[in-house]
Amino acid sequence: MIRKGPNSTMTDVSDYIVDLQGVTFRRGQRVIFDGVDIRIPRGKVTGIMGPSGCGKTTLLRLIGAQLRPESGSIWVNGRNIPELGREQLFAARQDMGMLFQSGALFTDLSVFENVAFPLRVHTELPEDMIRDIVLLKLQAVGLRGARDLMPDELSGGMKRRVALARAIALDPQLMMYDEPFVGQDPISMGVLVRLIRLLNDALGLSSIVVSHDLAETASIADYLYVVGDGQVLGQGTPDELMNSDNPRIRQFMQGEPDGPVPFHFPARDYLQDLIQAEKDA
Amino acid sequence: MSAVDRLVLLGRAGLDTITALGRSGLFLVNVMFGRASFGNGWALLVKQLHSVGVLSLAIIVVSGLFIGMVLALQGYNILVGYGSEQAVGQMVALTLLRELGPVVTALLFAGRAGSALTAEIGLMKATEQLSSMEMIGVDPLKYVIAPRLWAGFISMPLLAMVFCVVGIWGGAMVAVDWLGVYSGSYWTNMQNSVQFVDDVLNGLIKAVVFAFVVTWIAVFQGYDCEPTSEGISRATTRTVVYASLAVLGLDFILTALMF
Amino acid sequence: MRIRNLELTVGVFILAGVLALTVLALRVAGLTPGSTGSTYSVHAYFDNVAGLTSRAKVTMSGVTIGQVTAIEFDKNRYSARVDMAIDSDVDTLPADSTASILTAGLLGEKYVGISVGGEEDLLVDGSEIYDTQSALVLEELIGRFLLNTVSKED
Repeated sequence: MIRKGPNSTMTDVSDYIVDLQGVTFRRGQRVIFDGVDIRIPRGKVTGIMGPSGCGKTTLLRLIGAQLRPESGSIWVNGRNIPELGREQLFAARQDMGMLFQSGALFTDLSVFENVAFPLRVHTELPEDMIRDIVLLKLQAVGLRGARDLMPDELSGGMKRRVALARAIALDPQLMMYDEPFVGQDPISMGVLVRLIRLLNDALGLSSIVVSHDLAETASIADYLYVVGDGQVLGQGTPDELMNSDNPRIRQFMQGEPDGPVPFHFPARDYLQDLIQAEKDA
Repeated sequence: MSAVDRLVLLGRAGLDTITALGRSGLFLVNVMFGRASFGNGWALLVKQLHSVGVLSLAIIVVSGLFIGMVLALQGYNILVGYGSEQAVGQMVALTLLRELGPVVTALLFAGRAGSALTAEIGLMKATEQLSSMEMIGVDPLKYVIAPRLWAGFISMPLLAMVFCVVGIWGGAMVAVDWLGVYSGSYWTNMQNSVQFVDDVLNGLIKAVVFAFVVTWIAVFQGYDCEPTSEGISRATTRTVVYASLAVLGLDFILTALMF
Repeated sequence: MRIRNLELTVGVFILAGVLALTVLALRVAGLTPGSTGSTYSVHAYFDNVAGLTSRAKVTMSGVTIGQVTAIEFDKNRYSARVDMAIDSDVDTLPADSTASILTAGLLGEKYVGISVGGEEDLLVDGSEIYDTQSALVLEELIGRFLLNTVSKED
């Protein structure tokens, strides 16, 4: 079932689970991606980093086909996602798991039912088997005891862990994490960092972690991409990027406030602006 | 602003409106003729019938009762001047069946169930529940939208019928028990002038059309809203305003066609 | 258990809606299923039916004994033909009975009133009532009244 476009060069399916080739995406007039090439190696944790608003979440939505690129191809497991019909798309998504920033639990279902949801709609498993699988997944994120609670009774970190259990319920091959560390206290952040690594290795997943939390992402990622201004600014292992000569990467990795990415939003000259204000008054 | 600029703005607004209409039409087609539903479609529908229909029952019954009573009171006061107060039954029944039953039910339904549908779906969108459902490989159009749409289609005509019956009963209470219209002439006059096909069925057809339009607007506004708290509140307002206007406008067209 | 309760309330709701429709059909619109079997039909020609509608009642001594089934214009006789269905129980109407179009109250519903004749032959299915009295038309009445007043003054 490997389809190839006429002009695309497909690499060996086994090496890369996701392969973006020349992807361009625009939102209104604003160019979010301009001919971006990104490859996600199979079986590894890949971090996608960049300043806020650079389109990291958009990238995940492109892979999940919730958005369509203007041009370019997105190969996931040998299927070019933008070319799939609605039917095939929903089938392809069963191989993907996505952890949303907010957790996105179904608020009208209990924790147990949330995790059971993908199993109920996609499988014909008997009830006791579903129960076993759900408890297994909840055990993996350490929340087996919370199965009867409703989502609004959980803390933010617990919600995200339940959402993680739900995302892995169907044993996907690809897990995508959208800003998993945002707004977490140090303890639940540590728990999540450990879980992402653990699940990746134990279940043989491939993971994409989109984040701007440098230290946490660098600590679990095998490979990193830094994106910004619609381009891939740099890529490599965390160590390579830390010692990069590229000033933009260094600014981001070292967390310097001003540099190639300016501190100020583009504006008129400060002095001019002040004088103008006096004239107006 | 020059006249040309205004023309350009007007043109753009017109195009935007037509685009939105097209989008909502495609949305409706996708919901109704999309992938086959899941095995638990029935349970989903029952749940929505409960929240859309059963929970709207109270407001419908209470409003129907009062509107029927007011109609009888007003009708009596006018008709008694002509010595035809025994015609109050037919007046109440015809007014309710032809106009007020379907229209008021639709307006109440838009306010009670329609706004709730929009807000609920909008919130599911804002909290990424719809996106995450898509990523689980479940089509939210089928799983979230379709049951709500069907629940609206089914509930509202039933609610309109309940509204009419309660209203006629409330009218009888006022006219017969309070104002002393002879109960026989209240009911007989009504039965002689109300036609099943012309009045009851046409009223039912109106209710079905209104149900369709109100629910469609409500779920589309929810699905299409900007996923922020401000966007949801705007979408909810739009649902009530658009649905009410659509109901009143369509009512005129339907009345012109039917009676 | 929760789902069962839900189904129960929804069931009650749907039942209430259907029941309401039935009430509207039977009690409000006065639809009586199967009543057509036990009637016989007669017809009459009127010069003017003004406001009589199909399904209006046909009464005798103030009691409803049937209903109007159809009203149409007969182009050969230049008058309105009214078909009526009379209950089969009332099978002793003399052939020379009179049918008149009456009004309930000043502005009320029009209906057909039948008053008994004296002949021995009876009305049967398909007979015609020859003796008819047209509806009272308010405008004509007023017109006649005015004409009288004017001619008196002359």
